[in-house]
Amino acid sequence: MSKEKFTLHPISAVINFIKVLKEMIVPLIVVIAVNGFGGGGNEGWTSYIVYIIYAVLLIAMLVSGIIRWKRFRYWFEEEELRIEYGLFVKKKRYIPFERIQSLNYTEGILHRPFGLVKVKVETAGGGATKEADAELTAISKEAAEQIKKEMNLAKNRVSESEDQDLPLQLEEQVVQQRKPLFRMSQKDLLILASTSGGVGVFFSGLAVFVSQFSELIPYETIYNEIIMFIRFGALLIALAVFFVLLVAWIVSVAITFINYYEFTIRVEDDEIIITRGLLEKKKITIPLSRIQGVRIMENPLRQLTGYATVIVDSAGGSMAEKDEKIRLLPLIKKDQITPILVQIFPNYEFEASFTRVPKRSRKFFYRLDFLWIIPVAGAVSYFFYPFGLLSLLLLPLSFLLGAWQHKTAGYWMDEKQLVIQYRLFSRVSLWVEKKRIQAMTERTTYFQKKAAVSSIMTTIKSGVAGSTTIVPHIEKKDAESLMEWYEPTRKESINIQKEQPF
Amino acid sequence: MRQEPINRLSEKGLRVWRIYGIFQSLIALLVGVGVGVINYFTGQHLWIYIVDGIVLFLIGYLLIYLFPKIRWTRWRYEVREQEIELQHGLFIVKRTLVPMVRVQHVDTEQGPILRKYDLSSITISTAATDHTIPALVTAEADELRGRISILARVAEDDV
Repeated sequence: MSKEKFTLHPISAVINFIKVLKEMIVPLIVVIAVNGFGGGGNEGWTSYIVYIIYAVLLIAMLVSGIIRWKRFRYWFEEEELRIEYGLFVKKKRYIPFERIQSLNYTEGILHRPFGLVKVKVETAGGGATKEADAELTAISKEAAEQIKKEMNLAKNRVSESEDQDLPLQLEEQVVQQRKPLFRMSQKDLLILASTSGGVGVFFSGLAVFVSQFSELIPYETIYNEIIMFIRFGALLIALAVFFVLLVAWIVSVAITFINYYEFTIRVEDDEIIITRGLLEKKKITIPLSRIQGVRIMENPLRQLTGYATVIVDSAGGSMAEKDEKIRLLPLIKKDQITPILVQIFPNYEFEASFTRVPKRSRKFFYRLDFLWIIPVAGAVSYFFYPFGLLSLLLLPLSFLLGAWQHKTAGYWMDEKQLVIQYRLFSRVSLWVEKKRIQAMTERTTYFQKKAAVSSIMTTIKSGVAGSTTIVPHIEKKDAESLMEWYEPTRKESINIQKEQPF
Repeated sequence: MRQEPINRLSEKGLRVWRIYGIFQSLIALLVGVGVGVINYFTGQHLWIYIVDGIVLFLIGYLLIYLFPKIRWTRWRYEVREQEIELQHGLFIVKRTLVPMVRVQHVDTEQGPILRKYDLSSITISTAATDHTIPALVTAEADELRGRISILARVAEDDV
């Protein structure tokens, strides 16, 4: 085993610098803009002090980027990937190869001209520390390949020492590229981009931005200008709002287009490999053993046009940042889903005939909403009479939504898996294997008890936490048979086949 | 009908919950007294005093007497070889099954009030969920923790 220590490509100094700069750029722009607007008021050197501070900061950031690159070392020793890094304090991190779950590669704009990649190393734990377990900012593709090779070598050695049967040639047959299972067409990509909820994302981003720098924004000036603006009339405002929405939409279309460009998935060595991106090529690897559940989501608009999204829940790791819901098929015609999923998940049965919810439990789908709608609508109607009366429309609307949810809800199970279908707005069908369910709860309220129905809550692992899905208001006896289905003591142990639990 | 789990919590647990109830009622009492004082200085309406008093009494009755009683009677648990079953809930009855294979670790915990009554709570964690049995006699809880951790180790995934 070589103990040669490797460094990152010098470009990572620039990447470090840009990364810090990105976090600073917004306040910088705001401050410059504010000073520019305030112009004329304060003269002399005081107005330059901000710029001087920023210049100093900029240089400091650049220097720290260079130092961080200089200090970074990685090498392979004793079946471990060892990393040494740190700006002021030297830190070392040793990651045993057998604990590495996946290596994810990203090619940014800066990486591409030099044939470099960013490598994210992920381990099974990864919960406590928010960042990826290790990140090599920029190394050559060969070096990335070498890490993978060392890892496979170490893993084979470990399994070899455990049972002698495994031949060493394993790595030879490992490297066989397969044809992609799915490649998103340009047309679908465009549809995805233009119908995705990216607008909301954009606005929430905007809200975050505003809230973060609210101290720097001259509210009084803006307020005065708004007052001025109102005098120009409502039409202008409406136009402006429309314009902003349009721009936001275009931006979100562009962002989605860039992020999901050339979206392909393929399966290699029990791993799903997703590649996507126009400017920044991302390669994400998900070991199949980590997948806890498969969801098919159809929002009403897409349900009408026959499109759906497939999402998988994955355990541990940090690659999808917030929760580990990874878009496996961002947009696909419904009838094409099953053929693809069958190839990826041969253990699942994708033909389901759902048991629906009894008619008498329909009231449970909207009655609770009435509890808050009636007082709220009442108050609104009273205080904003007569237009407030419009809020009473919420009642029939929530009734209709409830009836719709009631119609959609259902479940189906066979020996090994459970399928749950439900709707908030989008229709969701969740496929989950019994062995992936962490706990199951039967939940009965007083009113449900009287109507002889109950709900079943199933929890699977998703990311570092859990994700709970409810089979709502089904027949009491169905709920009990579901609990019995899940109860280990009740069932005969037919299958002796062992699987790694998660 | 599926059978209810057989084991109950310690009787002392009910007493501890009553104490918790007293603490919660004290907060309500503070608010209630505040309302009374404001009323004294502003309007001195008799009906406000009366309503205030009735509400306070009701809160006390519910938090100290009724709710702990219902919760205690409802709480059942059973640790079998292959799974743990819990039943609890005040208004909503929840029955939870946790297979032994899924159990990752078991903790027991003891706050100052629980310690005074020689009680412990025991928390069973899976990869995604936590389940707490709130009031068991400490010796019993320790024994149970040991048992669960042995069973969890023995249990094999045979699915």
